[in-house]
Amino acid sequence: MNRRIVPFEYTPHDHRRMPHRVWAYLILLIGCAVGALAQKASEPTNVTAPFSASATHLLGFKGAANNAGGTLSIQGAALQFQKSGKPAVEVSIASVQDVFLGEQSKQVGGTPMTLGKAATPFGGGRVVSLFAHKKYDTLALEYVDANGGVHGAIFQLNKGQGEILRSELVAKGARVSQSEDAATKQSTAEVPSENK
Amino acid sequence: MKTSKRVSWILLAMAIVTITIAPRLSAQTATAKSSSGKGASGAVQWSVQVDKVNPGDVDIEPAFRIAIYENLLDELGKTKRFQQVFRDSDRTASAAPNLLILKTTVQKYAAGSETQRAVTTVSGATKLTVSSQLCTRGGQVVLERTVDGNVRFLGSNLRATHNLARNVAKTIKQSALPEPSLSVPAQGAQ
Repeated sequence: MNRRIVPFEYTPHDHRRMPHRVWAYLILLIGCAVGALAQKASEPTNVTAPFSASATHLLGFKGAANNAGGTLSIQGAALQFQKSGKPAVEVSIASVQDVFLGEQSKQVGGTPMTLGKAATPFGGGRVVSLFAHKKYDTLALEYVDANGGVHGAIFQLNKGQGEILRSELVAKGARVSQSEDAATKQSTAEVPSENK
Repeated sequence: MKTSKRVSWILLAMAIVTITIAPRLSAQTATAKSSSGKGASGAVQWSVQVDKVNPGDVDIEPAFRIAIYENLLDELGKTKRFQQVFRDSDRTASAAPNLLILKTTVQKYAAGSETQRAVTTVSGATKLTVSSQLCTRGGQVVLERTVDGNVRFLGSNLRATHNLARNVAKTIKQSALPEPSLSVPAQGAQ
């Protein structure tokens, strides 16, 4: 009885045939890949979600207090600023005549920090000041009211948020003057010399 | 005894009523005076329209221009010198009878640094100099002044615009403007 023991699935003429288990793995892998791709493809819908970021209203937005912290967001066709616990104020994006992006470096900590630095002996406060500053984006808007009167508003946002908001505003119909790009570049170029 | 007590009660009640009502009445009179477009002296008041800030030849950041404009509107409103303060391009300004137009041109601008100010105290000041002109509708210059606004120690760079607007408003408040009904003489630059 000189017989070879062969597996159940073995066929002598098809050596390269893959077992069922491998096929199952491949199908599973492809399924996962398709799922991942579908998820990636659906991500842009999340990106197009309305802009919303914490911001400080420096001045000019009608109905909002100066130097007030709150949330700046795009709600439909309006730019909205809401201080927590206060009613939201908004302007139509179509009424925005110009959007300017800038950058500024500010000392952090406010009045308590300033007093603390002043009280620090041997000029220690100055050393603290050297490191206690942060760069922000500033977004300046020019918009018109119902009577055609020109308003200006300035918001301070975290770095990087200004550019996103500006793009969103432009995409939603806000006008931007042609010289704005040059002004932005110039403003950004000034910052390093300021922070010497 | 009873009669004297009654009289004293009546007098006390009258005094309370007088003290309570008199200030309100005087406040109402003042409001009526200001709303009728006349100043404390009874003279007819000007209204003012603030034009957008002209950067001139100076490379000033747009945020500063906007901040100067908005602060000027605020500060001019506080002076009570003008019957109404209008924004640039406001259509309702055309109906105002005695209108002056405030034109602001930037002459000098030095961008400072808040950090530099905090560290060195003596350097990093933000300095602004503007030329302010009050003109009539016909273009006749009523007042022309050069005004500064700086921030040297505490505060952000944009605080310079607030100081500048306050100085412009103070200058206008202290200057003698011609009567709206009279012919307007032109004044030279200071």
